[in-house]
Amino acid sequence: MTALHELAARVDEAARSATAIPQLTNDLPDLGIDDAYAIQALSIRRRLERGERRIGVKMGLTSRAKMQQVGVDEVIWGRLTDAMVLEEGASLSRKRYVHPRAEPEVVFLMGRRLSGKVTALEAMAAVEGVAPAMEIIDSRYQAFRFALPDVIADNSSSSGLVIGSFTSPRLDLSNLGVVLSVDGMPHQIGSTAALLGNPVRSLVAAARMVAQWGESLEPGDIVMAGGITAAHALSVGEYVETQIEGLGRIAITVGE
Amino acid sequence: MTEQLLSVEQAAELLRTAVETGKPIAPLRDRVANADAATAYAIQEANTRHWIAAGRRLVGRKIGATSKAVQSMLGLEQPDYGMLFADMAFGDGETIPVSRVSQPKVEGEIAFYLGDDLDSDHLTLADVMHSIEYAVAAIEVVGSRIADWNIKIVDTVADNASSGLYVLGSQPRPLSAFDPVLCGMVMSCRGEPVATGAGVACLGNPLVATLWLARKMVEVGRPLKKGDTIMSGALGPLTPVKGGDVVELRISGLGAVRCRFEGEA
Repeated sequence: MTALHELAARVDEAARSATAIPQLTNDLPDLGIDDAYAIQALSIRRRLERGERRIGVKMGLTSRAKMQQVGVDEVIWGRLTDAMVLEEGASLSRKRYVHPRAEPEVVFLMGRRLSGKVTALEAMAAVEGVAPAMEIIDSRYQAFRFALPDVIADNSSSSGLVIGSFTSPRLDLSNLGVVLSVDGMPHQIGSTAALLGNPVRSLVAAARMVAQWGESLEPGDIVMAGGITAAHALSVGEYVETQIEGLGRIAITVGE
Repeated sequence: MTEQLLSVEQAAELLRTAVETGKPIAPLRDRVANADAATAYAIQEANTRHWIAAGRRLVGRKIGATSKAVQSMLGLEQPDYGMLFADMAFGDGETIPVSRVSQPKVEGEIAFYLGDDLDSDHLTLADVMHSIEYAVAAIEVVGSRIADWNIKIVDTVADNASSGLYVLGSQPRPLSAFDPVLCGMVMSCRGEPVATGAGVACLGNPLVATLWLARKMVEVGRPLKKGDTIMSGALGPLTPVKGGDVVELRISGLGAVRCRFEGEA
């Protein structure tokens, strides 16, 4: 148990000081998925003890392409706190991150509690709003290299999020066009169909996975549904915008 | 003694034979005299004339190489174009013998039907938008008469921009009914998504791609006419197909179009 606390402190400190660390699995090749989630929970507890507030969860590895890339057939999740939120239109401070990348996403706002095994219908009925979003992912591991337990322990690479205006979820979310542009040029293009065929499947998975850890999606929580395209590595000076058909747009600039 | 280089007519005939026999040929780029884009289009044009004289009906154009990724693969800095003939057109839900296309692959596109000629000089986007009577989701079945798709600009342009067949959706929509730039695209094979994308993948805007084509067609003396079908370019990656595949394309706002493939290559 102490060992898990020590590892949680290590990833938390890496995130806090924007310092890259070696993979945990270098020294602990047998680190399992359950231990990895325990490390994540402990590292988030450290954040909450510093006064941060839990605001929801993020899903990762939600596209077939990413699952194949990592060699898994299950999505992963992480926890979000208020300290990770960047205002829409804000300037991101590059030096606060190790190697930040931006991914276009869809975010759900929960209107009702959701936990455990639910159907897609039940999941959507619990959603109050949906908005365009960008997640800033930042692996604290050197060279963005890690095994699955490493990334889970490292809060599934989550480090920042930008959220646009929420609109009614009563639209077909299964095939909305998505473009991430850098300085006005399209860089990453896709469709929400890349999220397991429909972003609602990501929400269903979120409800199931948080329940495994005795948690639930509460009214007011947000759920980041997962990256829709490949991530874009951020460089100082860039103006990065995500547009999603029918949902709107969000943007950030990348500062020093 | 070096081997004699092929003339435009000889290269055109090699391609026609490949179409007729279904046997792909070696790349042309090192075998034709003055192997550049102009020569490649001359080869394409020689076959277009041949086929029109043989009774094929020219019904439109396709735009190819509309993504930066494909342009850099082919060594191009702009898109390319090919001819659409009536015998290449299939309808929503039809079955396509895979033997109809050499080394077939599918891609999701927006097809435009022109209700007006685009034959004046100095065309603008407004002319293009005005001329489009409707848009439909369309599956393009591309193919290559060049062995193993080993193509560069000269090979694909000479080979009618690697065209094969196309399948038009059956829900014509005006431009005002969807967002040509942000519309989502998902192509699935037997229910499994195999390619995703959006309108913006086609040169940033399929209407801009169509304007490029319209200007080019005026320049080369084959202007776009009322009644032409324009396959405006891929909205996502290509996927190879084989007998037994059921391909469904959905474009947000434009509905769906599907086809199935049967038989052996």
